[in-house]
Amino acid sequence: MYSLRLALKSLWHDRWINLLSVITIATGLFILGVVVFSLYNVEKIASHMPERFTINVFLSNKATDRDIKGLIKYLKRSPIVKDYRYISKEDALKELRRSLKDAAYILEGIDENPLFPSVVVRIKSSEFDKNKVMELIDRIKGMSRVDDVIYAARLFESIEKLSRGFRLLGLGIILLFSLSVVFVSYSTVKILFYRRNEEIEIYKLLGATKGFIRSPFIIEGSVLGALGGCLASAAIFGFVFILKGYNNPVPFLAYLKLPMPFVAVLPVVGLALGAAGSTIALGRLKYQDA
Amino acid sequence: MIKFNEVTKVYENITALRKVSFSIEKGEFTFVTGPSGAGKSTLLKLIYLAEKPDEGSISIAGWETLSLKEKAIPFVRRNIGIVFQDFKLLPNKNVYDNIAIALRIRGVKESEIKSRVHEALKLVNLRHKTESFPSALSGGEQQRVTIARAIVGEPTVLIADEPTGNLDVDNTAGIMRIFREINAKGTTIIFATHNMELVKNTGLRVLKLDNGNLVRDERA
Ligand SMILES: Nc1ncnc2c1ncn2[C@@H]1O[C@H](COP(=O)(O)OP(=O)(O)OP(=O)(O)O)[C@@H](O)[C@H]1O
Ligand SMILES: [Mg+2]
Repeated sequence: MYSLRLALKSLWHDRWINLLSVITIATGLFILGVVVFSLYNVEKIASHMPERFTINVFLSNKATDRDIKGLIKYLKRSPIVKDYRYISKEDALKELRRSLKDAAYILEGIDENPLFPSVVVRIKSSEFDKNKVMELIDRIKGMSRVDDVIYAARLFESIEKLSRGFRLLGLGIILLFSLSVVFVSYSTVKILFYRRNEEIEIYKLLGATKGFIRSPFIIEGSVLGALGGCLASAAIFGFVFILKGYNNPVPFLAYLKLPMPFVAVLPVVGLALGAAGSTIALGRLKYQDA
Repeated sequence: MIKFNEVTKVYENITALRKVSFSIEKGEFTFVTGPSGAGKSTLLKLIYLAEKPDEGSISIAGWETLSLKEKAIPFVRRNIGIVFQDFKLLPNKNVYDNIAIALRIRGVKESEIKSRVHEALKLVNLRHKTESFPSALSGGEQQRVTIARAIVGEPTVLIADEPTGNLDVDNTAGIMRIFREINAKGTTIIFATHNMELVKNTGLRVLKLDNGNLVRDERA
């Protein structure tokens, strides 16, 4: 492959300038990687939060077995319900006693159970969607002998906002840094192209196809991008390693996850962005003056 | 082989060629002469498709250049060997690579390139300079490298723009001999020069340009 040899030779010829480009691309990709990594972990944390989100359905004291069965049947059929637990009046009292412990004496002297039967509902984290959950709550509220539905509205809102906000911000940053990587490869190749302009003109006159002229440049851009990607991968690996270090004072960080395929994909992303940048830099080649 | 029909080429406000018509047969050796600025280089550029005519039509080896697709241009050019007035050698490549590039763009195997480059170097008598860079060569030697590059691809047409431009009498005679030899093998040759001494008594066809007009078409 003559183009490949030409590209490697040129890469080596300008190795210091190219190293600079690689480092710049690596920095861009590193930031890109950190953003994706953060986004991934925020999503993960956000996706676990719904597990703590419960809906308490309080039934009226007059609720019959039929009412309860009806509610449970509905919950069973709902695709977003993870599980539910029925707590009878008696269970509720027992639980109250247990939680009061030594203070349980205050319950003495109460003859009748003052509590209500209830159902605790948990939502599947994969199905956690504001509209779907609100629809479920409204439906339950509308059922007969349902006194009240209590849920953590604040938690509910924050889960929504957190992941949405991060997603938006992350997407913006990803776009910005992808563009910057494209731009670095663009300008690197553009400079190379201008410097070799005379050579290219000669190639054209000798009958070289556009593919033949372009390929060494695109190979160069791609190699620069891929090398930048490798460097960024290594940097992210190190970054996460330090973040998760054993003597880290923030224990929460130890739970951060760095998915391996993601590290492997950065060089490929770099290669693609590098190829894109150099392709744009070459623009339209023309054989003839108008 | 090559046919110009009422071809006009205008640069900004200068008419470099005005309604020029002629046709050249396969295997012919044709001189294009005329004073500086007459339009010789322009005529050649139109043949190797570096320029488009403003009026008229040109056909080359059966191709109508006006209806030629952009993508086809490199393949048409591979049938045309060009000896440029300003050589156009690659300064950072040695003699071997400068000639080999004409075959590399065609995707020829390196082993075949080697034998063909050496053959071309033999023809221009430069086998001892294979490793030299253009800057280390004399004008005549650079001229011969350019000729070797133009013929190594075995083109059907060889175009030479002032190939003896600034050479002494001996060098000029040597280069003329090379062109006659290539022509004897059946290659069509179009040779632009303002040196009338060179043309004299050759018995070859001469197209004389003056100020963009084709003023004479005759045998020397
Ligand atoms: N790219 C260009 N832009 C503007 N004018 C041009 C261009 N190329 C050629 N010309 C003009 O066209 C005319 C013909 O030029 P051309 O190069 O064909 O002459 P020539 O016969 O080859 O001369 P010489 O013997 O000096 O090489 C000249 O007046 C020249 O100035
Ligand atoms: Mg000229």
